[in-house]
Amino acid sequence: MRLCLLFFLVGIVLILLQTTLLHLLPIGIIPDLTLVLCVYLGLYHPTVGAALGSFLIGYSVDVVSSPSRMVGLNAFLMSLVFLFVYFSSRSIWAQNPLVSSIVVLFAALIKSAALVLISAFFVSLEGFWIGATWYIIQEALAAAVLAPVVFGLLRAGESFAARFRAAGQ
Amino acid sequence: MLAFVRKNQVPLSSCLCLLLSLYILTAAARGQLKNEPLGALLMLIMRPLQVASESAVSWVKNFRDNYDTLAGFKLENERLRKRIQNLEVERQRLLEAEATNRQLKALLDFRTQLPAGAITASIIANSANSWFQSCMLDKGSTDGVRKGMAVVTPLGVVGQVVGVTANAAKVLLLTDPNSGIDVLVQRTRSRGIVSGSLDSGTILKYVKRSEDVQEGDRLITSGIDGVFPKGMMVGTVIKVRKQHIGLFQFIEVLPAVQTSRIENVLVVAGDGSGKR
Repeated sequence: MRLCLLFFLVGIVLILLQTTLLHLLPIGIIPDLTLVLCVYLGLYHPTVGAALGSFLIGYSVDVVSSPSRMVGLNAFLMSLVFLFVYFSSRSIWAQNPLVSSIVVLFAALIKSAALVLISAFFVSLEGFWIGATWYIIQEALAAAVLAPVVFGLLRAGESFAARFRAAGQ
Repeated sequence: MLAFVRKNQVPLSSCLCLLLSLYILTAAARGQLKNEPLGALLMLIMRPLQVASESAVSWVKNFRDNYDTLAGFKLENERLRKRIQNLEVERQRLLEAEATNRQLKALLDFRTQLPAGAITASIIANSANSWFQSCMLDKGSTDGVRKGMAVVTPLGVVGQVVGVTANAAKVLLLTDPNSGIDVLVQRTRSRGIVSGSLDSGTILKYVKRSEDVQEGDRLITSGIDGVFPKGMMVGTVIKVRKQHIGLFQFIEVLPAVQTSRIENVLVVAGDGSGKR
């Protein structure tokens, strides 16, 4: 449960980064680091706490950035991503950075596809599709590229927390 | 049943989360999601963090903007500095051209007052030591310069040509101890010889004690020596000392022409026979 809390805090930090610092990047898109975190949880922590954590992270994204009539969308998407990765993790060995990047890439594409579908279903936004494809690909690629780095940081954080816990005991 | 739930608790909880989020989404889309506590709690947590994060990002952004601005200023500064340098060089060149032009115009005007055949020349070198006061001109015998010709400027007498080669001429300056120019005190018409000296600068020699010479008196060429045209300015008396013994007065003269400051001169023949 402590680990879940830690991941939730990491998620908050990543949301803060996405809502502030990453806007300074000159690439025109915001890399979805929270998605990478959900993939990480699905791959390496397939627990009920992690599923709940993914939902909470998505809901936090909704609270800070979704329009009021689309609150819950990111919570749904993150839960979906977690579920997809959870089932995928049974058949893949994701210790390789390249494999983790590919998983993140597919997760990002699934998330984007679901986002477009649900948006079309709940709020029929005219012209929403225009330019969406290229944006989706860009965002998925950015997340995939950053995935090994974020995974590495999360692993380092985990081992640090484990050492800290061991020293406490 | 319980075993199934326990075995699939992760996907089931995940599906539950999906359903919950769909419920929230539906409620939000219908506008029924108001004052929900979880969102409020998350906002409560996120807001101060976002404020802090945003201020940090603003600082970074301002820093970057300031850096960009400064970098822009630096480039602009360098560009303007180079332009100033170029303009300064250009200005210097124009000032020099203007000064030369003025000098040559004065020489041209002055030339009309001189006997025909005055030769314009430039000083190309000065004396190599302090024992002799001389200079070299860029015109020589091929230009019509001959030994013994007078060298003058609009301001007054410079000296006399004492040596000529084909393309250069050596001038013994008025301030050299070996020179001697027959002059008149303009005010009283008293005669004397202006010459240089090693210890007292330029002096007026051979003026009798009885002659009335005062400080400030102007000295002009007498024309008697046949070298310098008559009436040319030679210098001004700056000091008069009548000695207790001897026939003559001791008179110090400030030359009309500071030879160190002139560049162009006219070479003339005192009898008007100078030729180009």
